[in-house]
Amino acid sequence: MRLLRSIAIIATAWLLAAPAFAQGTISNLPRNQTLIVENPEGTIKNAGWFNIWAINAGGQSTGLHQLAMDTLWYIDPERGIDGVWENSLAAEKPQYNADFTEMTVKLRKGIYWSDGVEFSADDVVYTVETHLKTNGLRWSAPIQVNVAGVSAPDSSTVVFMLKKPNSRFHALFTVRWNAMWIMPKHVFEKAGDPLKFPFNPPVSLGAYTLHSFDPNGGWFIWQLRDDWQRTTVAKFGTPGPKYVAYIDPGPPDKRVIAQLNHQLDIIHDTSPEGMFTLAKQAKLSHGWFKGFPFAHPDPTLAAVIFNDELPLFKNRDVRWALALLIDMKQVSMASYRGAATISAIGVPPTGTYPDYYHVPLESWLENFELDTGKRKIKPYDPTVGKQIADMLRPSMGDQIPTDPAEIAKAFGRGWWRPDPQAAQELLEKAGFKKSGNQWMTPDGKPFTVRIAVEGEARPVMTRAGTMIAQEWRQFGIDASTVVAQGTLNDRRASGDFDAMISWSVETWGGHPDLSFFLDSWHSQFVAPPGQPQSARNWQRWSNPELDKIIEQTRKIDFDDPKGVELGKDYLKLVVQEMPTIPLMAYNVFTVMDETYWTGYPSAETAPYTDPVPNWGNTRYMMVKLKPRQ
Amino acid sequence: MRAYSLYLFRRLIQFVLVVFIGMNIAFAVTHSTPIDPVEQTISAATSFGSTSPDAIAKMRQSLRELYGLQGGPWQQYAAFWRRVVVGDFGPSLSAFPTPVSELISRALPWTAGLLTVSTLLSWTIGNLLGGLAGYYRESSLLRFAGILTMGLHPIPYYIVAFVLLIVFGFVWPVLPISGGSEMNLAQGFDVAFVGSVLVHSILPVASLVLVGLGGWFMGMRSLVSNIVSEDYVLYAELAGVDRRRILTSYVMRNALVPQVTGLAMSLGGIFNGAIITEQVFGYPGIGSLLVGAVHAGDYSLVLGVTAVSIVAVSAAVLLIDLLYPLLDPRVKVR
Repeated sequence: MRLLRSIAIIATAWLLAAPAFAQGTISNLPRNQTLIVENPEGTIKNAGWFNIWAINAGGQSTGLHQLAMDTLWYIDPERGIDGVWENSLAAEKPQYNADFTEMTVKLRKGIYWSDGVEFSADDVVYTVETHLKTNGLRWSAPIQVNVAGVSAPDSSTVVFMLKKPNSRFHALFTVRWNAMWIMPKHVFEKAGDPLKFPFNPPVSLGAYTLHSFDPNGGWFIWQLRDDWQRTTVAKFGTPGPKYVAYIDPGPPDKRVIAQLNHQLDIIHDTSPEGMFTLAKQAKLSHGWFKGFPFAHPDPTLAAVIFNDELPLFKNRDVRWALALLIDMKQVSMASYRGAATISAIGVPPTGTYPDYYHVPLESWLENFELDTGKRKIKPYDPTVGKQIADMLRPSMGDQIPTDPAEIAKAFGRGWWRPDPQAAQELLEKAGFKKSGNQWMTPDGKPFTVRIAVEGEARPVMTRAGTMIAQEWRQFGIDASTVVAQGTLNDRRASGDFDAMISWSVETWGGHPDLSFFLDSWHSQFVAPPGQPQSARNWQRWSNPELDKIIEQTRKIDFDDPKGVELGKDYLKLVVQEMPTIPLMAYNVFTVMDETYWTGYPSAETAPYTDPVPNWGNTRYMMVKLKPRQ
Repeated sequence: MRAYSLYLFRRLIQFVLVVFIGMNIAFAVTHSTPIDPVEQTISAATSFGSTSPDAIAKMRQSLRELYGLQGGPWQQYAAFWRRVVVGDFGPSLSAFPTPVSELISRALPWTAGLLTVSTLLSWTIGNLLGGLAGYYRESSLLRFAGILTMGLHPIPYYIVAFVLLIVFGFVWPVLPISGGSEMNLAQGFDVAFVGSVLVHSILPVASLVLVGLGGWFMGMRSLVSNIVSEDYVLYAELAGVDRRRILTSYVMRNALVPQVTGLAMSLGGIFNGAIITEQVFGYPGIGSLLVGAVHAGDYSLVLGVTAVSIVAVSAAVLLIDLLYPLLDPRVKVR
């Protein structure tokens, strides 16, 4: 009995003391000097591996590429601290010769590796030469395809000789999420085979260095270097957090719980419902937008991607008919519970793109005419974004903006007006016939569309696909979704799909140049049916007019204003041809808790970078974050 | 003794056959998956950065060579058995070039620790309560315990896990809900680390015990209910033998034989991992390793984890078969 009583007393004492114990999730580190961030890679199988150049061997967004790596340039997906272009290890922009077969780079001086060795042109040359002579490193292939030779005339100049003209070669060394990082020559030249060297502990070129990590891959802690002034971010100020922990907090529900308990300062992404819970219950938590729709629209365009090599989708009238059967308001509500930022054109409505493309094309879209075979219609409805805001206002109240400019920024602008009559006319023009309630193809078979979605791996996109399939089915098309969880990458590459909800458009976000994705849409890269298709033209669409636009873009400088005009030509072409149906930006519900830190990026007051913490660009967040007083 | 030796030999042959067939099925299943590890790697490497299509084609070719996926199915099958017989599953394709055995040996102690403790706890508590409930059928406390354990048993595991997580992680946040130990704590056999591991295992163990208890409870109670009406129990009661002695020495001891078989099977199954538990509680272990490997199309790792599981379950069954004739004289060796 005495034993039982003792156990009861100890248990009670522990339970009373436990809340403090359970909250303190990091041992021996001051919480008010530590930023805790979700790493969406989850648990890293091979945690002790920091050789980021060996493909897929360890983690990347464990803080490794955000805090410890550096390269020549950065382009911010939002507005940037000092403009979108940032000369990082380079002292100036890349200098090309007239035919883009040579690129010269001037390097910054006074930058040091964390072990005290000065960074120099030799590191850049070593990095490139190692990739030239080693197959299977992460950037071996693009280097081997492009580079004929590399040299360092002096310690702060590097000259790249290219195998063929490439006006966008610098993109390989320009961070948009990541880029080719520079290797420490003095470490790797003694390491033997670069494919088998774990690089543990990593020697860092960024402002932080590895403090400790979980051998089971659950967490990684980085510490501010004592000599952080000798790194490239120093020009923007002192990094706020002394320690940054990147952790695997588990499924979305647990991330919400962890932030409510102030154990997770930045959630990378959660469900719309999780975001709404945090908005209601956590006073100091906020998203990119302070109010609805909260999420950060990533420079990625979610779309209905047809397999345009299939006879069914070769005819643009069919693709247009399917677009006119979609009610975007319903798709927005089903997928993001209304928190979507829609786009009718082939670039995401995020970063600087609305200014470069969406706004200038608005009047063209309003006047755009589509020939249904029986009449001409103007399918664009410029008020769809506003209609979504109006639908949400009764339930969300003053969370929903009323200013038209704010509405456009948060919810997007217009989209295609649902028009089943026009869709019917377009299908009839294409030779389709309706038999009873079922549409039949020109060769007399039922019109069947299977939309591949990723199920629980990407629930928001799955819900969008389900809603679209339902809308097509109501019209008499045999449409349904097929779950390709875990297999979508393979099916996408092999062309084993009718249509899918995915993305083939990713942009710089901050810079208007579209070559980041558009160059790969040239017909020279379209694989024959059955052969693997390389990223990103998953729709396998080729068009001579598009080829001309791409070829003209290749011949002009990255910053040439003609690039935006060519971009608009591309956008007009894909509106006319509808090779994919653009839906919305890939909105990421990144939630930031201000209990310990202030100065996070936000759409309204501080759009200095994308807050989504697995981006390499988020290193700029560290210099803006300050401890809450 | 000769009969036992023959029996041992037959069982060993059976064991080898089961392992061989199991490994072949595992090989066939993993190699017929539509997930291509090279495409997964390419997708992971190029989904964010700017890589031209001609470079991707080159990368695809390099990776096939690097991962040793160039040969046909029969060459790969032969290479697989060559490696297996020396206990080497090759490098993991999703954590290349780290050996599969290294990844498994890092994850296995966590899974084995968690599942051994929870299996033994649920077995002991379930059998004890079931035995008592079967013998003292008039006890209202034990009847209540029966309702409770049987009520919990059919609830899907993930519901129980999430309820525990919400109650003890959010409503009354007294227990850690993620990871195997506190962050920034070096792994080692010291008080701080061991204490942290124990505290972090409370919720995962509790969830497994709560759900696992019912099965053992019901099994034991029905076994005891049958045994109490056996002649030897009745005689013992009529002879005035102490009831506690009847329960422990006459009833539960006899009822335990099939339960021990179940325990051995469950302990063998430990090596399958506890996938949902590890996912829900962010607990390191072999289950999460397996799920990650399946998604990445990493057949080497899937085969490694599966092989450990096949051998462990088969060995547990073999052990029971070998021990039975020695432990229970009613089991005869033919």
